Amino acid sequence: MTGSEVTGTRSLESFLDSDTRPLSRSPIPDDQDSGPAAARVGEVVESSTTTLIAEARRLHGAPDFGAFVRIESDGQQLVGVVHNARTQSSEPNRRPMAYGKTEAELRREQPQIFELLRTQFEVLVLGYLEGEAMVHRFPPQPARIHSFVFPCDAAQVRVVTEDPQFLRSLLEAPGVPTDELLLATLRHALEQRQGSTRDYLGVMGSELSRVLRDDYDRLSSLIRRMTTWGRGEAS
Amino acid sequence: MLDLSAVRHQINSMVADHAEGGTAAFDARVRVAVTELQRWSSDWPALQQQLDRSRSSWMVPRIVSGPLAQGCTAPDRPERLSVAATDGSQIFPDRHEISPCYLLNIGYVLLHYGTDERPLLSSRPSLYWRDDDLYPQWGGRRTAINRDMVGFRRSLLELTELAELAAASQAAGHETVALTDGTLVFWGLEGRPPDFRQASLTALVSSFDLLASRRIPIAGYISRPGSPEVVNALRVGICPVEGGADCDRCPWLGQVPPCASVESVSDAVLFRQILQPGERSALFESGSRVLEDYGVHQIFFFYIHAGDEIGRVEVPRYVAEDEELLQLVHATIIDQAAKGGGYPVSLAEAHERAVVRGPEREGFYRHLEEVFVRNDVGARISRKSLRKRTVGV
Repeated sequence: MTGSEVTGTRSLESFLDSDTRPLSRSPIPDDQDSGPAAARVGEVVESSTTTLIAEARRLHGAPDFGAFVRIESDGQQLVGVVHNARTQSSEPNRRPMAYGKTEAELRREQPQIFELLRTQFEVLVLGYLEGEAMVHRFPPQPARIHSFVFPCDAAQVRVVTEDPQFLRSLLEAPGVPTDELLLATLRHALEQRQGSTRDYLGVMGSELSRVLRDDYDRLSSLIRRMTTWGRGEAS
Repeated sequence: MLDLSAVRHQINSMVADHAEGGTAAFDARVRVAVTELQRWSSDWPALQQQLDRSRSSWMVPRIVSGPLAQGCTAPDRPERLSVAATDGSQIFPDRHEISPCYLLNIGYVLLHYGTDERPLLSSRPSLYWRDDDLYPQWGGRRTAINRDMVGFRRSLLELTELAELAAASQAAGHETVALTDGTLVFWGLEGRPPDFRQASLTALVSSFDLLASRRIPIAGYISRPGSPEVVNALRVGICPVEGGADCDRCPWLGQVPPCASVESVSDAVLFRQILQPGERSALFESGSRVLEDYGVHQIFFFYIHAGDEIGRVEVPRYVAEDEELLQLVHATIIDQAAKGGGYPVSLAEAHERAVVRGPEREGFYRHLEEVFVRNDVGARISRKSLRKRTVGV
């Protein structure tokens, strides 16, 4: 009963956790991943109809603020927008502490700490894709836990942002930095539209004027910031 | 429940006693020990001769190198180096629970320094439930396994798994040092049935064989060591009996013998007076009886000033006799302790991987219960355990 035989022939992989967590624990490089899941940026770890939290596949690897993401969950294609990201200790009873070293030095001399950190991002659910079309309604079922999160490609971003309804969804969402998020998503929408950005901004601008007609200060601040992009900054 | 107010008085008395313990009498004994160490410092072969002649009742080491009262400074750690560490923890068999099974959880850590390579941090639980696990047969008798045996099996698994991990790391092209928490001297083997000893020693010796054949150094790090082996040697040195100490025929029987002048001083307290941060002591070979069965892998030790504390480092013979490996172990432990705030960071992380905390243990038994019920396997927990869970007023 006293221990197994010592062989000296085992591989390093044989020491991994029995239920290997592909997100942060496995020392196997990500580029060995293949198949459709390879493009994922995260995995859902908390989910509700209106919002979800995903763990980023890589440390500091959350999609940009305001970026559009797609969640494949049980046949549904949910669409949402990233409105918050944070990096913190993955162990409830341990907190990061200051080492007084650069990140490069820490990676060489304290490599374990990066395994104990994780990046999570929050996604505001905007609706779901039905075939090629965007449905601006909450999905019938929330995303399942452990569903993968993918970045929306250019065509998907254009479909999602075609109907100015998404602006209303953002304006009505509680608990998000609304105006900042609005501008960030609009910039992402613009980046995926070559040429016709002026027309597009015009449509979105008039929608905003309708929705925010009772709040002139806020509206003018938003429009002012959007006009600076029209001068070529974003296109 | 513990009535803290009721124990407060006793705590106060205990603290008062401790405060007295650190007083003049003890300090004087420490000073004597330091003086004795200095006396033999470069003349250590003479002390060794005296040890050889003597028949003391204490465990004394063999002195391997000198000078005794001087530290060796730490060499630099190679820029690229990997440190492998394991630690273990367990859920002891509990006959009041739904099943008397037990669990060993081994934490693995492999940290690569000087590169950007990702470290390995993992743990693997193993469940033991078969009759042979729970009622092992040793010395011709079947007995229910106890905490002692489970703890022993865990220590052994930590060591064999560490050997495998370090070998795998080296095979993957990393220069590796293997660290384990605690002693390499399995003194728990003393007094065990011969077949149990034999099976354990086979696993132990083959781990050392493997590491020695790949020239991977292994070291056991003991934090806050309490052993007085070196001080015991000094006691023999103090003994004025002609022809060497013979404790069975001590002329001071019933009185205070001369060697009592260093009594209750531990090696760590002694070397705290000698070593500067980063330094290690001279090398000694452990005199533990159980090592007679270790074959060629006798265990050697030295003390080290790890920054805050004096730690004890144990290495097998192939490391002790290979100056390069010995230096590597010294440099690695100093660097590991600096990174871990006084305690080797790889061992601290291995512990974090391995530890099974109270709520996890509870969760384990509740899950076990669910699975038993779901599969309609008759299972009962003892009335005592049940009563603990639902306490009425």
